[in-house]
Amino acid sequence: MSVRISLDGVDKAFTNRRTGERQQIFRDFSLTLAPDELVAVVGGSGTGKTTLMHLIAGLERPDAGTVSTGGGRPRLGMVFQQPRLLDWTSVETNVRLAATAAGVDAAEVAPILAAVGLTEYARSYPSVLSGGQRQRVAVARAFVVRPEVLLLDEPFSALDELTARRLRLLLQQLWLRTPRTGLLVTHNALEAAFLADRVVVLGGRPAEVVREYRIDRPRPRSPEDPELFDVHRRIVAALT
Amino acid sequence: MTVTHPVVAEEVALGGGRSPAPPGRPPAADVVGRLTRPLPALLLVGLLAAGWQLMADASGSALIPGLGDVARNLVDIAASGALWDNVRVTLTRVALGFAAAFVVSVAAGIAMGRSEWLRRFLEPAVLIGLATPGLVKALLCVIWFGVSLLNPILTVALAAAPALTINVAQGVRSVDPALGEMAHVYRLDALTRLRYVWLPAIVPDLFTGARLGIAMAWKVIVLVEIFGLADGVGYQLNLEFSQHNVAGVLAWTVAFALVMAAIEYGLLQTLERRAVRWRRVALR
Repeated sequence: MSVRISLDGVDKAFTNRRTGERQQIFRDFSLTLAPDELVAVVGGSGTGKTTLMHLIAGLERPDAGTVSTGGGRPRLGMVFQQPRLLDWTSVETNVRLAATAAGVDAAEVAPILAAVGLTEYARSYPSVLSGGQRQRVAVARAFVVRPEVLLLDEPFSALDELTARRLRLLLQQLWLRTPRTGLLVTHNALEAAFLADRVVVLGGRPAEVVREYRIDRPRPRSPEDPELFDVHRRIVAALT
Repeated sequence: MTVTHPVVAEEVALGGGRSPAPPGRPPAADVVGRLTRPLPALLLVGLLAAGWQLMADASGSALIPGLGDVARNLVDIAASGALWDNVRVTLTRVALGFAAAFVVSVAAGIAMGRSEWLRRFLEPAVLIGLATPGLVKALLCVIWFGVSLLNPILTVALAAAPALTINVAQGVRSVDPALGEMAHVYRLDALTRLRYVWLPAIVPDLFTGARLGIAMAWKVIVLVEIFGLADGVGYQLNLEFSQHNVAGVLAWTVAFALVMAAIEYGLLQTLERRAVRWRRVALR
């Protein structure tokens, strides 16, 4: 099912526990993600990117306004900045628990592990894997649930550039199999241009949409595509 | 159908960088290490026994019997069947009481670890439970429940629960909240969260609490059996004491210590090693 995500007139503030200061992250903020559209949100630190993702994931509630995710609570697949794996159980179980909770047949775990190249590690503990391999487990977990909404919270920022590049390509491959509505939060303008249909630049406090770029390049895209570098340059210019 | 870009295929086929080999058989050094691990403890026991024998020889008093006397008493009670009968009775009481404490403590500890309000609500009861002497718990249970099975079970549960609860609560508070968010996003049900998120994460604290709880349980079960029951190791200790048989008291004490050591080394440490096996694998 294709899901439209809408944030309408959202207010969100946090109180700094140490200083007691009230920080207004969003005021009357609106953003819409069309069905099957992958939107990347870029912006400096503290511009509310992760808060935006948490609002859509249901991990935070808005102080005012509405967050609509297609009328119900869609199936979410989420890749966090850190893989957030259960280190005490196997790679296969980590993926299977998410599949089972989403009502997906456990038989689908093996194919998704094969797709991310981790078949031989299915019975290993995540702690024996490298950072890139652990993040691939997180990607497998996000896709095995057949997500209606895919949320990617700086998914490759903790990895070295070469590993991150491979995982972006892997993500593109998986996305091409079944497109779904997605939000990518990233500091990396080139990553945003490579993966997204639209790039939204956030800035200010409270945060607002400073600029938007539509990326019309067909998929699969190459990370060497000069037009993506051009978009990347324009995003960086908007950020600075 | 998936269309694969040539660049994509080439790059993804390279894999994800470093690929540590899956864990294999433990090296020979591990086996040697496992065999020599009990040596320091055995050396201490040997030194204490030798020191005791020297003291017994030097004093020549019946109040400090030699190792031979203690061993003879131990053989006698074992041969008569009294040893196994009474140890079994005591162990059953401890096991039932500890099981009750475990169920209540895990539930209360998780509740206290997750809710600040419940922590404030339950903490005084836990602290009072920790501070109240085992003797008081044993006496009150004897008075209230007499010779019924409920008496030792409740005493052991009351003795073991506070330490277990406080450790479980501490363990839950230290669980990474990021895992809770992951469980929320993927809608893991309560049972799955308990089995795969909470319990494994609190295993070290759970074992610390279990050790403290069992230690408290051993102390109070002996008291309960002395004051209000007609069998069990505590009752037998009291019987030997009333007959002024110090060697008999020591024989039961040694038997009791051996049972405790068997539970610690044979059961608790084995369970703990299995439960945290993933950490050892990660360190290889």
